[in-house]
Amino acid sequence: MALRVVGSSVQRKEVFAKVTGLAEYVDDVRLPGMIHGLTIRSTVARGRIREIAFEPGVPWDEFVIVTARDIPGKNIVSLINDDQPYLAEEFVNHLHEPVLLLAHGDKDLLRKARGLVRIEYDPLPAIFQLEDATEVMKSYQITKGDVDSVWAQAAFIVDGEYSTGAQEHVYIETNGMVATYDAEAGVTVRGSLQCPFYLQKALMTLFGLPAGKIRIIQQETGGAFGGKEEYPSMIAGHAALLAWKAGRPVKLVYDREEDMAATTKRHPSRTRHRTAVDSEGRLLAMDIEFTIDGGAYTTLSAVVLSRGTIHAAGPYRCDNIRVRSSALTTNTPPHGAFRGFGAPQSLFALERQMDRVARAAGLSPEELRRRNLLHTGDTSSTGQTMQQPLDLEGLQRRALDAAGFDEKVERFARENRTSARKRGIGFATFMHGAGFTGSGERYLQSVVRLETTAEGKVRILASMTEMGQGTNTVLTQIAAESLGTEYSQVEMARPDTALVPNSGPTVASRTSMIVGKLVEKAAAELKKALPLPCDYSPAEFGECVRQHYASDGAVSAEAHYQEPPGVHWDDANYRGDAYGAYSWATYVAEVTVDTATGEVQVDDFTALQEIGRVLNPVLASGQIEGGVIQGLGWALYENVQWKDGGMVNNQMTNYVIPTSMDVPRMKVLFEEVPYEHGAMGAKGIGELPMDGPAPAVLNAVENALGIDFFHLPLLPEEVLSALGHVG
Amino acid sequence: MKPFTYLQATDVPSALRAISSSPDARFIGGGTNLVDLMKYGVEQPAHLIDIGKLPLANIEPLPGGGVRIGALARNSDIANHLLIREKAPLLAEAIVAGASPQLRNAATAGGNLMQRTRCYYFYDTGFTQCNKRIPGSGCAARDGLNRIHAILGTSDKCIATNPSDMSVALAAIGATVQVQGNSGPRSIPFADFHRLPGETPQIDTNLNKEELITAIDVPGFPFALNYCYLKVRDRRSYAFALVSVAAMIDVRAGKIHDVRFALGGVAPKPWRVPAAEQQVIGQEPGAEAYGNAADVALKGARTFPHNAFKLELARRSIIRALTTAAVKGERNGNVG
Ligand SMILES: Cc1cc2nc3c(=O)[nH]c(=O)nc-3n(C[C@H](O)[C@H](O)[C@H](O)COP(=O)(O)OP(=O)(O)OC[C@H]3O[C@@H](n4cnc5c(N)ncnc54)[C@H](O)[C@@H]3O)c2cc1C
Ligand code: SF4
Repeated sequence: MALRVVGSSVQRKEVFAKVTGLAEYVDDVRLPGMIHGLTIRSTVARGRIREIAFEPGVPWDEFVIVTARDIPGKNIVSLINDDQPYLAEEFVNHLHEPVLLLAHGDKDLLRKARGLVRIEYDPLPAIFQLEDATEVMKSYQITKGDVDSVWAQAAFIVDGEYSTGAQEHVYIETNGMVATYDAEAGVTVRGSLQCPFYLQKALMTLFGLPAGKIRIIQQETGGAFGGKEEYPSMIAGHAALLAWKAGRPVKLVYDREEDMAATTKRHPSRTRHRTAVDSEGRLLAMDIEFTIDGGAYTTLSAVVLSRGTIHAAGPYRCDNIRVRSSALTTNTPPHGAFRGFGAPQSLFALERQMDRVARAAGLSPEELRRRNLLHTGDTSSTGQTMQQPLDLEGLQRRALDAAGFDEKVERFARENRTSARKRGIGFATFMHGAGFTGSGERYLQSVVRLETTAEGKVRILASMTEMGQGTNTVLTQIAAESLGTEYSQVEMARPDTALVPNSGPTVASRTSMIVGKLVEKAAAELKKALPLPCDYSPAEFGECVRQHYASDGAVSAEAHYQEPPGVHWDDANYRGDAYGAYSWATYVAEVTVDTATGEVQVDDFTALQEIGRVLNPVLASGQIEGGVIQGLGWALYENVQWKDGGMVNNQMTNYVIPTSMDVPRMKVLFEEVPYEHGAMGAKGIGELPMDGPAPAVLNAVENALGIDFFHLPLLPEEVLSALGHVG
Repeated sequence: MKPFTYLQATDVPSALRAISSSPDARFIGGGTNLVDLMKYGVEQPAHLIDIGKLPLANIEPLPGGGVRIGALARNSDIANHLLIREKAPLLAEAIVAGASPQLRNAATAGGNLMQRTRCYYFYDTGFTQCNKRIPGSGCAARDGLNRIHAILGTSDKCIATNPSDMSVALAAIGATVQVQGNSGPRSIPFADFHRLPGETPQIDTNLNKEELITAIDVPGFPFALNYCYLKVRDRRSYAFALVSVAAMIDVRAGKIHDVRFALGGVAPKPWRVPAAEQQVIGQEPGAEAYGNAADVALKGARTFPHNAFKLELARRSIIRALTTAAVKGERNGNVG
């Protein structure tokens, strides 16, 4: 059947509200009697709290003050390891750790009060860098074959160590929550967030209340990128504690500096590779050590590490692979979820390493990869057999052709001889697994519900959040397509834990592929429950829904997640089917390096990917373009500068993200190989574009200068100093 | 933000009276710097005197080929003005290299000269050490992050840079700042306008607090069209200079006849060293001569742990900027 709604670039669902200012963000929420909250944070990286004093200067009796001792339930942000407190009680373990909360109706007074809370600490030794860290938060090992058995047969062995810095999300809207409390209804929190049911679970523990007494409502959310996955549980808890103690609604909104300094960032990482190839350049062994800096508490580090570990060996076929990985504890604010979730770090290292292996083996970067890319029927590092049709060599070649790669390699080499501005071209070939890792989706047990409305429309009830990426639009398209109705005849319920079922979190590139599939299934059920003729027009569908609603009331249908058949995952040994499906890509970057100043400019970028079915071309391209820019930022611009365990350039003027002037010409290309278990054949794409840009750019820089760089971000001064050494 | 009173000044005398009425009074032009500083609590004026409507926004020719730029001319208007494009394209290029179009539309010429440093520690009142903000408190940048800081003209008290791009061009051109105080007008040569930190880093300029900048006079230059403003920064827009160079050169009969250059991003004030220019007059244009000039201009540089790269970067940038200016000169037929 030809598709009508899916595959077309319909207008985004929320676009009218956004451009006219009707969309209500958390800072727009005003409730009667509402006061403002503020977080007092630690000023040492590690220490014992000796004394808290409230110095004179403000009318303290007017302030609502919450400390750890006030907490009615458990003082833990419930997530994976339950090691992080809502408020430090005796010890602080990182800079900017919440210690106490204040609320008052007057924001100026509140700020003044901040300066009058004096907290004395007995400082304790602290650890700020991976090199000094020893405490293991989580570790994994993937073993395929036996790497140690083949070193002796290798024609070439290449070692490399790669590292990446932290990255700040820089969503347009900073974090914030508004909380209310009422003995009858319990706690209600509205805010900027990705995962309403994560907050509900965390607040149930914090207050010792059942799910029915914790209600979480998503406000319009201005970007997230993973940065509103786990930390909102903290802010929601703080706002709720203040509201509970104050007996009034409390708004707690971070300004940019607090948001940058105190909330999560991408994990800094270090990856060591030892790769063996035979004389033909075929991979014999990949021995990989992948380490990330988790910060002071576990938060999501264990699962970020997991994804990074599984992606570490990339899209290559190799019989002997060992990946040993660990997340280490330091005394920086916890690092957390960020688009790509560990994969960008390990894939950066791998795709730089592959270029170096190619050079050692005397092959071109393309040829080395061509000889080793996975084919249908091959197994990945975890032993997952590639079931879907795979043509990675073809995909890689088509990307290189689209970028004019061969001609440029030749031309740049010629032109660079006489120019102080050296041009280069490089690429990376990679994949990203969509959905939760391993058995994650099975544990989530996601549910989606559709129901009919009196107006003859259908409403989708799901916990998936719109944060600018297009969730509402795409799920609506899928429902409209499956139901045989118009896009305008389907609406999305606002994510509100009191009204929508738990469809899992809006993370891990799972929304379109997995939850979209549930929408598709629920739509099929809903159709069965309606007295529809075999053939009907969208108008007839609406009429049928309306009439049936008038006579029998609302009809609803639910779909529950079921694992695709034949999927097995062994969590203890990290063997099996790590992801239901992978998206595949080759990204090509073209750069100019100014040898006088060390500046690297990306001039041209080609991103070709196979993502199953493209549900909405404009949104899909938007995801890729935005992700590539964020990837370029991570590669060349975004330098989180640390001092004593805290970010010091936590301002938009000195944390440098790319502007539109820095963005290269970009070609975004899709290949469609529908995936039968994804919605209408779709796979995930949200995170994929974060993986490729950094290695492609550094490979291009190597092509331009003949100098290998191993660390991100690559700043002009590093280029200059390397050029100095070369002569 | 601390509460303040607001006054819209309608003429220069009333603005001057208002500024003299209280030590906590401040002029506000476009507000693009002052308002930020107020939000951060770095500046806490009790009275704002809005000079935005004073009749000082004209750009007009001066006898002798120069141009007078009114202190309230907006940065965009200056950069786009035909007179500036013709007589001082270096200045237009420097202005356009700064900030973003929205900011340039609001920012005034006077405000640009008076903008304060971008040192992180100056901006962040969470840090208690900053001699510029709190005299005598120390300098957090010396032992902190100093990648963006100065390598020339620093003192033990302060190592911050002046962030203005426009000022670098004005320094190279040798502009004059016209000011008006209660006791009358005076002229300040551009080289004397900004100050080195010395023992008093809290004072950025030699403008008295009760004086108003009324205009900037840009002299006519015979070789104004042989110019280059090179700005090296962390991204292509919306970033301050790591190093910038404003250069003009006059090559006649294969020899350097005259040259002007100034540096930004490396010192507490726009850095022009006339001796560096003198050094190469009469020499053959080229990397060697420009390198010699650079060596003189950068003499006495002292780097800090994170900004050592600036020294080499500045040297290379000077060579690049002068080379580019000379190429432009060649295209112009080496005439003014
Ligand atoms: C994000 C950002 C990026 C920027 N990037 C750059 C850049 O790359 N390069 C660059 O050069 N600049 C940059 N700027 C700075 C910008 O150029 C200045 O903020 C602007 O020029 C200041 O002009 P204004 O009229 O807004 O000054 P205001 O903020 O109104 O005033 C600044 C100071 O000047 C004083 N003042 C103003 N007019 C007069 C006068 N006539 N007489 C006496 N005192 C006066 C005020 O009292 C105040 O102390 C940037 C600014 C921002 C916010
Ligand atoms: S360099 Fe100057 S402005 Fe920066 S902290 Fe030191 S004294 Fe303050």
